[in-house]
Amino acid sequence: MSEKQIKRRSLLKAGLATAVAGPAVLGGAGKAQAGPEEDAVIKAGKKLGGAKLNGMMWGLYWRNYPDLNREFNKATGISMDKVSDVPNLQIPQRAMAEAITRSGKFDIFHVESMMIPSLVAAGMLEPLDDYMKAAGFDLKMVGNFETFMTYQGKTYAMPTDGNVCPQFIRKDLFDNPDERKAFADKHGKKLAWPVTWEDELEIMKHFHRPDKELYGFGGLRDKANSSFWYWMYLYSAGGFPFDDDANPTLNTPAAEYAFDTWLARKQVSHPEAGAWGSPQMIPRIRNGKIFSCQYWDGIIAAIESPTAGTKTRGMWHYGLVPGSKFSGRLIHRAFSAPVMGMVVNRHSPRKKQAVAWAMYMSTYKNSAEVVGHPKFTFHDPWHPKHMTDPQVTKVYTKAGIKSVEDNLLVTCPPPYVTGYQEFKEVVDRNLSEAYAGRKKGAKKVMGDIQKEWAKIIRKVGKRKLKRELPFYKAMMPKVDKPM
Amino acid sequence: MATATIAQPKGRRSTRARGVRVFKWSVLSPLILLFLFLMPVFLLQIYFSFHSWTVYLSTWFDAEYVGLELFQEVLGEERFWNAMGRSLLFAGLSTLGCFICGFALALLMYRPFKGQAFFYILFILPMLTVPVVIAYTADMLLYEKGPINGFLSYFLPGDLSKFTWLSNPNFAIFTIILLEVWNWTPFVFIIMLAGLSSLPTEPVEAARILGASRLQIFREIQLPLLRPVIFLALILRFLEAMAEFPKTWGLIQGGPGTATETIPIYLYFTTWVSFDISKGAAMSYVVMVIMIFIVLTAIYVLRREKRALDALHETSRTEA
Amino acid sequence: MNRVTKARLFTIFRYAMLFIWSVIVAFPIFWIVSTSFKPDWEWHAWPPVYWSKEASWVNYQAVWGRPESPRTATEEKTQTARYESASANKPWQALWNSLYIAITATALSVAFGAILAYGVSRYRILSEIRMFQLLVLRMIPPIVVAAPLTLYYSAIHLMDTALGLVIVYFITTLPYSVWMTKSFVDEVPVEIEQAAEILGATKWQAIREVVFPLIRSGIVATFLFILILTWSEYLLSLMLSKVDVVTLPVQLAKYEGSDEGRVYGHQAALAVGITLPLMIIGIFIRKHLVRGFTFGMVKR
Repeated sequence: MSEKQIKRRSLLKAGLATAVAGPAVLGGAGKAQAGPEEDAVIKAGKKLGGAKLNGMMWGLYWRNYPDLNREFNKATGISMDKVSDVPNLQIPQRAMAEAITRSGKFDIFHVESMMIPSLVAAGMLEPLDDYMKAAGFDLKMVGNFETFMTYQGKTYAMPTDGNVCPQFIRKDLFDNPDERKAFADKHGKKLAWPVTWEDELEIMKHFHRPDKELYGFGGLRDKANSSFWYWMYLYSAGGFPFDDDANPTLNTPAAEYAFDTWLARKQVSHPEAGAWGSPQMIPRIRNGKIFSCQYWDGIIAAIESPTAGTKTRGMWHYGLVPGSKFSGRLIHRAFSAPVMGMVVNRHSPRKKQAVAWAMYMSTYKNSAEVVGHPKFTFHDPWHPKHMTDPQVTKVYTKAGIKSVEDNLLVTCPPPYVTGYQEFKEVVDRNLSEAYAGRKKGAKKVMGDIQKEWAKIIRKVGKRKLKRELPFYKAMMPKVDKPM
Repeated sequence: MATATIAQPKGRRSTRARGVRVFKWSVLSPLILLFLFLMPVFLLQIYFSFHSWTVYLSTWFDAEYVGLELFQEVLGEERFWNAMGRSLLFAGLSTLGCFICGFALALLMYRPFKGQAFFYILFILPMLTVPVVIAYTADMLLYEKGPINGFLSYFLPGDLSKFTWLSNPNFAIFTIILLEVWNWTPFVFIIMLAGLSSLPTEPVEAARILGASRLQIFREIQLPLLRPVIFLALILRFLEAMAEFPKTWGLIQGGPGTATETIPIYLYFTTWVSFDISKGAAMSYVVMVIMIFIVLTAIYVLRREKRALDALHETSRTEA
Repeated sequence: MNRVTKARLFTIFRYAMLFIWSVIVAFPIFWIVSTSFKPDWEWHAWPPVYWSKEASWVNYQAVWGRPESPRTATEEKTQTARYESASANKPWQALWNSLYIAITATALSVAFGAILAYGVSRYRILSEIRMFQLLVLRMIPPIVVAAPLTLYYSAIHLMDTALGLVIVYFITTLPYSVWMTKSFVDEVPVEIEQAAEILGATKWQAIREVVFPLIRSGIVATFLFILILTWSEYLLSLMLSKVDVVTLPVQLAKYEGSDEGRVYGHQAALAVGITLPLMIIGIFIRKHLVRGFTFGMVKR
């Protein structure tokens, strides 16, 4: 271990150690030494010769990587030299623009995994399996999560972030005896963890107090994000957006139920939620203006990390998202999107080195360091060993990490098919119109989406979609509820 | 005079004419070369608008020929015409707003007074602010519980200061219009200031001696002389506003729903989010045709005004 | 009411109106500056914090500071996140990109525009209708050509180069350059040039030594206006840049993190850096500004 490494590790740990001084943390420092997994990747990387890579990374999230980058550069001569740090919504379209122009400018894209089918279709992605085998790299993710990185049997991405949205509920309010009594008096039943969406709504209504700046629900309802929540409601109602013949099924009762559930949250949301994305919502959640929500698990770390300085630290319950009995049995479904992974450009002359670089960032130990960063909490746990890693647990808390694992076991993707962006845009826009009150009624809104989807399906081609659907279906969890 | 030619002795005329020709082409040829260099962009655009290209399924050169189908799709689309309507509303109202504010300020300020320089510097600042900065600043300012409403609550009673600027789908577009007015009022202000301060003083003086009121002088003398400048300011502002993108995009991406989806935003969505480059190209042409129609009308008006102005000067010059 | 009272009332009215507009103009600008000095817990505060009691340079250090430099005591205390990029410090690099791309494109556009304007004014090398048609160039919204331009630029390897951006900026601003400078050239009496030529100057010398100095203030005003357009251009620079020529307006869009929301303080610190250069230039040459904006529509 070089001097510089020691300095970095100790610096990184210092942040934690000063806040929660304890032997457990300091003891964990030894873990960060390069292990066999990292050595294998370094060995494979050394053979390839050095390279200066260009990467397109998501906004501020590059911040977790410079140290690892320097380390890998020292060991192998391969480094990420230039980074285009694009805002989150732009990566898919910019990656696609690169694909269309067959440019080899970027070696690595940090893109949401839902884009994999489209980018593969555009001939841009390099399958990683052979490289992984050669370097002895074994990709392990919680539950069914590996399927998010694969497409038609091949691995295309190295995970960086295991996004899933657990249920957040304010502990101080939920456990308050006065509130529990008031709720029981009013509804004739005990205040308990919501099992169905209907329960959740009832509880949120009880705690929705706009005059006191407390809003029942903190999920996103803006144009760019609204569909994510919709899929969760749809899957839990037993729905699926395509039938076996690759026709859209968004005019079915399940889809309409999901829409009504989606829209019902408007009653308990902030009046401006229709124009708010994460930039606006996250500070409200962290500052205690929201009673409950399903939100990306990075927020757990942003709230609970000792060094994050969040007002509501220790004031939250984290748990399994509610489900629905719409299909006749109780199904719990969480959602994971956008799940960020690093994909490698097939047109790049440095793709071998790029794969090695990406693998190095995604080994258990290195990713644990990224995921468990006490301040930059964007990257969320995904490796089975993250769930027990002391550094990660410190940042996410035990209860937090448990909820992440539970939800990951029932998590679902948005449509994992070619043309994802188009499908998403239609749903987002129509939902947003409905939320703004410009379009009314589940039948009308879902009918419109159905019609527009049919057009996109014609464009993508039914036969192609039919070939893809089994892989999409394979990503769905096999159980109704985590064991 | 606009096109004074230099008088030369007779014998040197042919060499001179050649000199002018050399000058003309040495200036124009780089320009023409540059246009030729950019020509493929427009050719590609034409190609795309007649071929349906699904970007991730094929390369652009084997896209399927579909004739006018894409144009029909665009022209028959409610969303397109809604966006067009919004763009026209946005451009029209913001132009009007800029004009009223800019002209009023210019009228208040064109004669020297104490503090003129200070106000002048202050008032041109919005134009020097980058539009993306305006978008993100507005994002900080316009919450229901944000600084603007906080500021307004000192003057307005209760509920009136609880304005939702962006999430109210009926008002969102007006918020963007207000931002555009804030941003570009200085442009009109400067043009009008230049116009007002360069008006001949004699007619105004004469009218004043004859006992005309301020309003009369303004309406009968200053306004007619300013007509060309006014048209110029309106036209330039309108056309720039039609292309406005960074503020609308940076602030709400055309949301909530499609409440602020103007033509540039819709084009961006079609081309870069849905990757429907072909439809985007067809739409571009429709937009271009509409814009060129507007521009031609504008040019007609401007030329007429300019001619009238030139004629006016011609007569005043000969009289002098 | 006599004239004096009337005049006094008008003065009061004038100052009242100007004051109101001053507030409207100054408030957002004030807010950018004030936010850039705020610690993160005051970015979203309600009631709003107009000026932080704990104002510090922390946001500026986070954005503009060198990532390798040791953390300051304030940064340690407030746990400020450094914005660290792979190689160079991004905002400085973006500032440099913005500067040289905007200034090169503007200088070329104004210089060429002025020569063209001279030709039009003296020799009618473009007819009046062509001059108006030139304006059409400006009227095509950039988004309309963004897609084919991207493809074309990639094909000829102009993507992500300064030259590529300079070319489009040059072309899109040329109409304004020509129109604005022409009105100045029109005002220069032909006789002065003739005198110079009789004294033995060549045409180019006459232009350079006589005409340009006379229209200097117009050139300066045109330069500033074109600089505003190129400096703040967002869409084309977004589409045509990748990593090498990212400009400041594009860089600004990046301060957004899923773990902390929009990073207002940093964004404001960068925004001040973007806006300041233009404002300084604008204030310095304000006198020239008024003269440049008549487009030949007003005769002196």
